[in-house]
Amino acid sequence: MQNANEQSGRPRWLKIFLIGRRPKATLIRIAVLATVCLVTFKFVLLPIRIDGISMQPTFHTGQIECINRLAYLHHEPRRGDIVSVRLAGMSVMFMKRIIGLPGEAVAFHGGRAFINGQPLDEPYVKYPCDWEHEPIPCGPNQYYVVGDNRSMPFEFHTQGRAERDRIVGKLFL
Amino acid sequence: MKIVLRLVWFCALAALGFWLWTICFPSAEKVILRKVASLAATATFRSGDGNLTRAGKVQKLTAMFAADAQIIIEGTGQGTRTLTGRDEIREAAMAGFGSLTSLKVEFLDMTLRIGDDRQTADVSCTARVNSGDAKDNGVQEMHFQFKKIDGTWLITRAETVKTLS
Repeated sequence: MQNANEQSGRPRWLKIFLIGRRPKATLIRIAVLATVCLVTFKFVLLPIRIDGISMQPTFHTGQIECINRLAYLHHEPRRGDIVSVRLAGMSVMFMKRIIGLPGEAVAFHGGRAFINGQPLDEPYVKYPCDWEHEPIPCGPNQYYVVGDNRSMPFEFHTQGRAERDRIVGKLFL
Repeated sequence: MKIVLRLVWFCALAALGFWLWTICFPSAEKVILRKVASLAATATFRSGDGNLTRAGKVQKLTAMFAADAQIIIEGTGQGTRTLTGRDEIREAAMAGFGSLTSLKVEFLDMTLRIGDDRQTADVSCTARVNSGDAKDNGVQEMHFQFKKIDGTWLITRAETVKTLS
């Protein structure tokens, strides 16, 4: 008798575990959750996998992060923000830090960044850098973006002025 | 009931006919996008590929370009390099296929714009390249210009686009 109860109870327990006591409500919950995830990860938070060394030591290859696409709805990008810059699309993007704002000139002397002639405090740059470069003026719609790892020669580091419409969003958190 | 069945049959036949039509007579958009995908596949080779395979790929790659095609490449820290004509493209391809152990090329986020004359087209995309020796992928925004020459879409100009100026 006990065995018969166990046999009939197991599938019921499994059914409750899989689809709940009220399957209709469970289905609605699943649909809502799927919709919320789809909208969130397609239009708000863009998951990205970091590849490359240009943002070391802040970020390493293989790290998974999220880009907040709504970050600049109410204000423009700010200095120090880590942003995603799109190429032809959003399958592959550059992840860089903004150091120069529209209208400013960015220069490098002795490995330090200078904005309009004033040295920029950058605690996130941990590796030695010896960059030397004349001031690069940013246009009215351009932001100067660069990685945190500046240990390689200036010309081998992907950096420069990004148009505002190429900035997809800001790193979440 | 008979009418419904006939309608279903008619719709199925129409769908089949349309599908066959697109297979036999693909649109210019489809042909060009296939061509770009084929370019990536041709430029890709593995370390195990022999010299004959590589030589075949060089020929196929060169044939995708117009006789007076131009390739303008500006890589990070490498300056600008311009290749003009099939001969220069063939030489560069042979050098690349000979010096690298392997290469994987992908074109992502392709956007296509066909000219009003339906004889020219522009394709923008992101190239993701990985040579067997390098740990990281190289990414580069690209722009291709196509022209229909003697009924065949050929690349007349391929150039790198500077994402960051």
